[in-house]
Amino acid sequence: MPQSSSGTIPLRKFGRSDAKISALGFGSHHLGEAPDEKTAVEIVHQAVDGGITFFDNCWEYRRGKTEVWMGIGLKGRRDKVFLMTKTCPHGRDAGLALQMLEESLRRLQTDHLDLWQVHGMAFDNDADLFIRPNGAAEALEKAKKDGKVRFVGFTGHHNPKVHLAMLNTGFPFDSVQMPLNAFDANFRSFEQQVLPELIKRGIAPLGMKPLNGHGEAIKNGAITAEEALRYAMSLPVATTITGMDSLEVLRQNLQIAQNFTPMSEAEMSALRDRCKPDAADGRFELYKLSLKFDNPEARLAHGFPLDTQQFEVKDMFGAEMNTGHPWPEKKF
Amino acid sequence: MSAKVEWNRRSFIKGAALAGAVPLIAGGSMAQQPSKQSQEVPSGQVPKKPLGRTGVQVSAMGLGGYHLGSAETEQAANEIVAKALDHGVDFFDNAWEYHDGLSEERLGKALRGKRQQAFVMTKVCTHGRDKKIAMRMLEESLRRLQTDHLDLWQIHEVVYDNDPDLIFAPNGAAEALLAAKQQGKVRFIGFTGHKDPEIHLKMLSHDFPFDTIQMPLNCCDATFRSFESHVLPEANRRGIAALGMKSLGGSGELVRHGAVTPEQGLRYAMSLPVATTISGIDTMQVLDQNLKIAVNFEPFAAGEMQALRAQCRVVAADGRLELFKMTTKYDGKVGREQHHFPTTQELPL
Repeated sequence: MPQSSSGTIPLRKFGRSDAKISALGFGSHHLGEAPDEKTAVEIVHQAVDGGITFFDNCWEYRRGKTEVWMGIGLKGRRDKVFLMTKTCPHGRDAGLALQMLEESLRRLQTDHLDLWQVHGMAFDNDADLFIRPNGAAEALEKAKKDGKVRFVGFTGHHNPKVHLAMLNTGFPFDSVQMPLNAFDANFRSFEQQVLPELIKRGIAPLGMKPLNGHGEAIKNGAITAEEALRYAMSLPVATTITGMDSLEVLRQNLQIAQNFTPMSEAEMSALRDRCKPDAADGRFELYKLSLKFDNPEARLAHGFPLDTQQFEVKDMFGAEMNTGHPWPEKKF
Repeated sequence: MSAKVEWNRRSFIKGAALAGAVPLIAGGSMAQQPSKQSQEVPSGQVPKKPLGRTGVQVSAMGLGGYHLGSAETEQAANEIVAKALDHGVDFFDNAWEYHDGLSEERLGKALRGKRQQAFVMTKVCTHGRDKKIAMRMLEESLRRLQTDHLDLWQIHEVVYDNDPDLIFAPNGAAEALLAAKQQGKVRFIGFTGHKDPEIHLKMLSHDFPFDTIQMPLNCCDATFRSFESHVLPEANRRGIAALGMKSLGGSGELVRHGAVTPEQGLRYAMSLPVATTISGIDTMQVLDQNLKIAVNFEPFAAGEMQALRAQCRVVAADGRLELFKMTTKYDGKVGREQHHFPTTQELPL
């Protein structure tokens, strides 16, 4: 039985740079779903000990909770990791993006990020809004020049065309993050349309949603967790970011990553074929077809309605709630 | 009443064919925000336009079937249909799945004794299932609509990327359309969808003899994943009648967010080269508002069309007012079930 709590995970080159990152990345969206701070910190500790060096985060996850928890978890371990977080202007100004950077640095208890990405490129006009005068592109440039971030990139899960539009702005991105899994391969495919372009340009490809976001296809029995993760990690990417909200999931992922051997091209092709019928209408990739995976910040900035059932929206309403006592006091 | 009688009536009407030269009329969309003042409906008739190369003419504004089921009472639905007919609206839209059949039942009752005056369309909702189910739905639709034939039968809601493959698979819904036409149960056939011009073009790539093709057409669509730019010219080129819908965004989004007035929105859609613009109407107030626009209809000049597109460009650019393209909000229950998607409650957007 391989030891997972203190092992090694293969390291890979981060694009054109000399930096190296672990082939499995720690996705933090799910960290906010851990039952409490103590558990979250323990997960982060064990992830570092298990050989994960790439840590993902985002200004808007759980209204800052995941950055705060990760900051606590990485105290004394900051130098062992390659730390990324994302800024969430969603089309708004550079100044706002930079304000978010300061907040992220404070929450993460660090003076610099290894990678800072613009979060959630989703809408057809996002590339135009990014590159416009006073758009987020200027914030990335400034943060890099000021030495607050080493590398810059963008992320998104909706539409390969939006990613290509971002690349066509000509901005010098160091990394691009996108969903990569055996279902994506045959449906509005980032693997087919975006990945080859990144490799051509020497930009570090970061895969995400190897298990479709929340393991939808695994619960359904269409694919196993190991097949799904191995498929994603076998693509020519710098890392595969996957969410870990419990020690159990962490250990399972560490085992797969520590023992990782790439799938052969024939195995990958067979798996794509097997997933093809379920891939065809996007049923396991709702992030491409709905706003389910888009945070309220993105919807508000773009004038879309909120989904009041979404837990991020409930968080948001909760955070704005008046916790004082009414006067006169209500008698029930 | 037999199909033959209906055919004769149509050729009788045919006279005024404008041969599609002039910019035509088309119609609209769903619930609109009527102004507070009462709407004086002029005494004239809604103009007629040719339905593609069929030789038939239909009213430039069509009555949407979904909202007939949303009308408060059956009586209200009857009155809407009667008044629409009085003003020359003869194109009636519906679908097997609207309000679990209520929309068809209401239209059937409202058209009792007036069937010959109407061009009745409904849609089949196999959502990937086979011909046999399609034919069963047709019988159910005919029974609910109290008629022995449809003027137009369309495949509903072609919005999932693999729908064209499923529809054209052996024993799929495309075969049902041909069979129904051959049996004389439907005069014309087509398909509808609100999601993605590429899916419409994939349907057209099969070179199937569609008579009609229904799509969202409005001032925002013109510059965002545009059916107007990508599908409408292709339909025109092939002589397939284009049917517009969602002229105000599906639920009046364009009006509610101040992008256009109801008149601008409806007139824009009706000024495109379409056979009709289907408009959802669930109250007498909305009907009066739309009739006033349609009866007085004058097509916008090219410059006015361009100005409206420009006016909407910024809010059009991310699809915020065309939720049917950008979210799952407008995707129906039956289609979600067949494609194993979450319900509307679980996945509202």
